[in-house]
Amino acid sequence: MTKEKTNNSADWSRRKVLKAGAASAVALSTPMFFTRNAWAEKEAIGNFPIKGSSVKFGFNVPQTGAYADEGADELRAYKLAVKHLNGGGGMLNTLKPSSLKGNGVLGKKVEYVTGDTQTNPDAARTAARRMIDRDGVIMYGGGSSSAVAIAQQYLAQEKGVVFMCGLTHSNDTTGKDKRRYGFRHFFNAYMSGKALGPILAKEYGKDRRAFHLTADYTWGHTQYQSIKEFTEKEGWTTVNNIMTPLKSTDFSQFLTSVLNSDADVLVLNHYGKNMINSLSQAVEFGMREMQKNGKQMEIVVPLYSRLMAQGAGAANIDGVFGSTNWNWTLQDEGSQAFVKAFVKEYGFPPSQAAHTCYVQTLLYANACEMAGTFYPPEVIKAMEDFEFEGTSPGKTLYRGADHQCFKDILVVKGKAPSKQSGKYDLLDIVSQAKREDVIYPADTFKGELGPYKPA
Amino acid sequence: MSGQLINQIFLQVMTGLQLGAIYVLIALGLTLIFGTLGVVNFAHGALYMLGAYLAVNIANSIGFGWAIVVVPFVLFAFGIAMERGLIRFFYNRPHTDQILVTFGLAIVIQEVLKWIFGANNLPFSMPSWGSGIVRMHEWVPFLEGFVAYPKWRLILIAVSFATVFGVFALLQFTRFGLIIRAGMRDPDMMKFLGVNISRRFTIVFGLGALIAGIAGIFGGPVTQVDPEVGMHMLVPSFLVVVIGGMGSIPGAVLAGFLLGMALSFTAEYAAIQQIIIYLVAVVVLLVRPRGLFGQKGLME
Repeated sequence: MTKEKTNNSADWSRRKVLKAGAASAVALSTPMFFTRNAWAEKEAIGNFPIKGSSVKFGFNVPQTGAYADEGADELRAYKLAVKHLNGGGGMLNTLKPSSLKGNGVLGKKVEYVTGDTQTNPDAARTAARRMIDRDGVIMYGGGSSSAVAIAQQYLAQEKGVVFMCGLTHSNDTTGKDKRRYGFRHFFNAYMSGKALGPILAKEYGKDRRAFHLTADYTWGHTQYQSIKEFTEKEGWTTVNNIMTPLKSTDFSQFLTSVLNSDADVLVLNHYGKNMINSLSQAVEFGMREMQKNGKQMEIVVPLYSRLMAQGAGAANIDGVFGSTNWNWTLQDEGSQAFVKAFVKEYGFPPSQAAHTCYVQTLLYANACEMAGTFYPPEVIKAMEDFEFEGTSPGKTLYRGADHQCFKDILVVKGKAPSKQSGKYDLLDIVSQAKREDVIYPADTFKGELGPYKPA
Repeated sequence: MSGQLINQIFLQVMTGLQLGAIYVLIALGLTLIFGTLGVVNFAHGALYMLGAYLAVNIANSIGFGWAIVVVPFVLFAFGIAMERGLIRFFYNRPHTDQILVTFGLAIVIQEVLKWIFGANNLPFSMPSWGSGIVRMHEWVPFLEGFVAYPKWRLILIAVSFATVFGVFALLQFTRFGLIIRAGMRDPDMMKFLGVNISRRFTIVFGLGALIAGIAGIFGGPVTQVDPEVGMHMLVPSFLVVVIGGMGSIPGAVLAGFLLGMALSFTAEYAAIQQIIIYLVAVVVLLVRPRGLFGQKGLME
């Protein structure tokens, strides 16, 4: 017993020595830390200041789960963006005004780390924390899923690391959950509704009865609200809405309810595999060859993507209306520069998810160059109210009041297999909704951006 | 009743049958194994998933017809190997041990499939002979107007019923079935009579796995094929067995369709829909703790 006790006390004293050593190391490093910052006249925020000759970005995308196809394409775009930032090419030649030189950012070579959000906010936060704390990223980006984007925005604000949203379409992202450290280039459900409402009324008439199936999380909820608002403005009636769990793969019981209602339009507020399953099952249930109230039954998918069209099959999406942020067939200089570079790299055209992620990475890098520093408050200010062109048709505004981009968006229609030229030519651009027609006052949605310096 | 209402109820019932059909197929094997071997097999969802993965790969490479032929045999062999290699060592151990080992096996199967095929959904399209709609109003006399239902889901219901009758006939009308039923009643007495009951029970385990394979082939295009589908199907199927009464085949069939109906008829009420199967389980077990057709005193 006595011996053991002696041993214990010896352990303790050794530990104490170690502790004291660690404490003095911290104490020694502290003054240096302060000196350096005083010298740079900027305090440390997040992972600023950056040591060394390279800068690290984090790309946190869904590699598994309902939105994994989008995630894979986002990652391709991110890698391409890093390649262009370091070596020039792509939209670096078309973005105006641009301070990018193609030699990295502020003379530092761009490196990146990746993570898997699993289409799940908790997993996304864990991956993001790892990027911030362990890998020391100065900026991170990604999506899909608005729930994931919003969770990461809050983390960004807390950590003082800028988050450039990937594919997120919920009004909340730049509405009630907007954050100073979060930025969104992608459009939102409100703009989809504004662009889609009049066209749906023109195509299908003003006396229509709509049944919604909605993915049960922030994005689905706001898209349902927006589409309801803008179709009802045109005279439509909303018969019913069912919230479906994001994990659903079989929608038959919900589709039976649609069949049994007096609705003549089915609105699918679903994205990714959800939409692929619900749309193909709706077709399986004969909804595209059915008459209701003396009218042809129609299906609308307010948020469309070429990837989803591909997954659902060309025959199923033929003539189905929706809206999209961007499509690879656009002929403007910026879009074409991106498409050419992407096709050259991967052999097939990029999706809208890829486009938004690519543009976001360039915009962040450009803001750093404009600010002349990686210091987050300065970079944020450089992006706020920045107006630019050469990334999609027309001019784009990064509104400072809510960190939402405003630009032309597209109303599209699924293309019949007979009209397609090539297997990626799946969407027909019905109209290009003008920026001034889809913009809305910044106070439409509540919410505060929060401070420039994380509390 | 107006024609419209009849149509609506008809469609809801079809959807209920179709949703229940997969649960019945999975629960059938589960309850068969419990009834004969007394083992609670938590790896049964994983067997379903294994069936679905095999089916989708065979269907995509050499055709759906081959999947129907090959998958049940592979699953049968897998079931036999699983029983001989692992499960038989747990017959005399408590149910908790059996649950732990089978649950562990389920995780292993799930992770192996994830490792080989990735974590993403494998698209499983139905064969051309099974796609399209059936115009029900042309077949069912009391329907009015246009009532259509997907052909594949009707096939699924038919397969489910055929399997149930197959199992029923096997147990009721064959010598093998007679021995199994006697063994379920009193395995020790069968041993005294010189019947090698454990070999028969091994076959029953293989049979349970085979039925899970059938469920995987025909249910795969409906539930989709990803590494989580096994766990996803396990909980409702297990509830089906519990509601129906542990080890009871008619109970599993009735409970499976009961849950399908409950899901179908509550579809419009999202808040209830997500908990309805648990709600049914609570009510049934409160009123009748042994389950609908359960034996008195068994897991009561």
